[in-house]
Amino acid sequence: MSIKKNFASRLSLYVLLLSASLLLVVTILATVFSATFVLNEANVRAEKVLDNTVLEIEKVITEVERAVDNVDWVVQRNVNDEQFLYTVTRELVATNPNIVGSAVAFEPYYFKNRKYFAPFTYSGDISHELHTVQLGNEHYDYPTLDWYQIPKLLGKPYWSEPYYDDGGSGQRISTYSMPLKDEEGKIYGMLTADLSLEWMSDLVTSIKTTPNSYILLIGRNGAYIAHEKKEKVLNETIFTSALEMEDTTAIRIGKNMLAGERGMIHFKNDDDKAFVVYSPLSNGWSIGLVCPYKDIYYYVNLLIIILMVLLILGLLVLFLGSRRIIRKQTSPIVEFGNAAMTIAKGNFNASIPEVKTKDEILQLRNSLDYMQRSINEYIVELKSTTASNERYESELNIGREIQMSMLPQNFPQRGDCSLYAMVQPAKEVGGDLYDFVEVGDSIFFLVGDVSGKGVPAALFMAIARAAFRFIGALGLPISEVMCRVNNCLADGNKNEMFVTMFAGRIDLKTRKMDYCNAGHNPIVVIAPDGKPTYLHAKPNLAAGLFADFPYEEEQIQLEQDTRLILYTDGVTEAEREDKSQYGEDRLLEWASKINSSVTSNAAVLDLYSHVKSFTHGADQNDDITIMSILLK
Amino acid sequence: MNVTINEEGAKALVKLEGRLDTTNADQFMKDITPLMNGAHQEIEMDCTDMEYTSSQGLRMFLMLQKSVSARGAKLVLRNMKPHVKEVFDITGFSHIINIL
Repeated sequence: MSIKKNFASRLSLYVLLLSASLLLVVTILATVFSATFVLNEANVRAEKVLDNTVLEIEKVITEVERAVDNVDWVVQRNVNDEQFLYTVTRELVATNPNIVGSAVAFEPYYFKNRKYFAPFTYSGDISHELHTVQLGNEHYDYPTLDWYQIPKLLGKPYWSEPYYDDGGSGQRISTYSMPLKDEEGKIYGMLTADLSLEWMSDLVTSIKTTPNSYILLIGRNGAYIAHEKKEKVLNETIFTSALEMEDTTAIRIGKNMLAGERGMIHFKNDDDKAFVVYSPLSNGWSIGLVCPYKDIYYYVNLLIIILMVLLILGLLVLFLGSRRIIRKQTSPIVEFGNAAMTIAKGNFNASIPEVKTKDEILQLRNSLDYMQRSINEYIVELKSTTASNERYESELNIGREIQMSMLPQNFPQRGDCSLYAMVQPAKEVGGDLYDFVEVGDSIFFLVGDVSGKGVPAALFMAIARAAFRFIGALGLPISEVMCRVNNCLADGNKNEMFVTMFAGRIDLKTRKMDYCNAGHNPIVVIAPDGKPTYLHAKPNLAAGLFADFPYEEEQIQLEQDTRLILYTDGVTEAEREDKSQYGEDRLLEWASKINSSVTSNAAVLDLYSHVKSFTHGADQNDDITIMSILLK
Repeated sequence: MNVTINEEGAKALVKLEGRLDTTNADQFMKDITPLMNGAHQEIEMDCTDMEYTSSQGLRMFLMLQKSVSARGAKLVLRNMKPHVKEVFDITGFSHIINIL
């Protein structure tokens, strides 16, 4: 189960990573786009706000200018009426909320030869009461002041630089002075109106496009007329601040504004980026609106953060969700795995779970199913084959046991004869036998080869051996023995089994041998001088085939130190790998080298090893039987 | 061993090729069953390419001979290799089976 979990997790992780990458790219693009868009919008908005503000201020300026303009001709007409002049100033202040002071200041010695004459009305700072006074005296030498002197020199109306009016309204003001001219155009006085900058300041500082944006209003030489930080007003110029900043762009802004230009500049205000839109006012002042990026991007940044959070949450959901789905989809695979395990453990009928989908998983299921059925069929077949093989093997084994149990192992210990024999059974075939019986001073022996294998052949051999022992003990001639044994075996032998045999009886006193060959290989007789020959015997039919076959025996006279070698075709037909056989010639060759002093035991084993070295490890396909009889 | 049977009317011409030993004795038995159970009057076996036969093989030939004789038909083995004929001689089978 844990492996499965990892697969689903792993796959989900890959999906997650891929999605995250894509979404990241998209987010970045979206952010960049938003930021650009937002900045542009802020620009546009700032300009609008600026323009509106400009309109507002211009309105006020125009109001003041117009107010002054309107009373100009009245003053001109009543220039000698001292009382009237006071009234005019009162009227100006009273009827215009923006005008906090007004004066008609005359050139020295113009009015009734007074050095100073300047009727003046101002409204009190707090109470807004009107006070009317005469402004000029030694301590207040107004002709030298900016609000008088400069417009006089310029010859046209002039808005003064902002200053603090301690003598009058007690506020920060700027004075609009309009020169009074006679018929010749000579200036004889100033008609002034004081515009309170407090109001201006309040107006200006309340205008914001964003929480941290601010307006600055500067005069003709850069001094702040209005600023968020009230202490800067009149005390600092735009260049004071500009020099404090690292970014020299600020100085350029100041210059542009003083030059009466309109525009927008981006700058850096102590690590905070901002832009400023600025515009000139009709009276030579300039107004600018500073918008810090921080505010503009505030919402963009917020958007990014929200997006990021949503993204992460979404990806988490994606991860968990896809993992769950994958797990569900691949759960059949786990079940297949379990089914396969069950099958492997031996339950070949375990059912493989059904699958609803029609995809590769179904294919896998079908393959598994087919495999299971194939295995089942194969096993059934294997079982039956194995069973029949086992039966076959056991039959062969039983046959082998019967066969081997009939071979006598206690060889005669005589002074006149040395006899030894062995059978080396082959794996498959069987059926070789030897036998010998001592009857007094005669020795009765045989070597045989039963056709067929397994239990039938072994039983056949058992009958043959028993018949021989029984009949042989009767002392009958060999040929008669053969006949009777043959009849015994031929009776009821439908399978045509037969046994080839060489049987013989040697009288050890006379060394005469009676023998009969029934279809068997010719034996080797090694003369005392060591010369071996094949004993030529009449080839009677192998026993067990035809009842009443007339077996014929023969006789031979042997000598002392003669050796007889009896064998089966397992010797002469022993094959090496290239299928060539040991053969009769090679047997004779071996026989020529065997000495009469060698015991039968040694001789048999020697021949056996000779045959084995010939075959050189190739499989033995028939029983090898060897008997040696040495007449001493 | 390869057994090829060609029929010409009531006569069967059989070609034997290769070895006959215990490993393929059962197969040989199956191959000659149509000859044992059939109605051929004459069966001629070409043994030119018969390399070897074991005692198992001899039994097979004997059984074929007996079934052929039982229905009064004839069996002939031709062109046997000398060393193979020797086996038939030694066992006395050449007296029972017609070998030319």
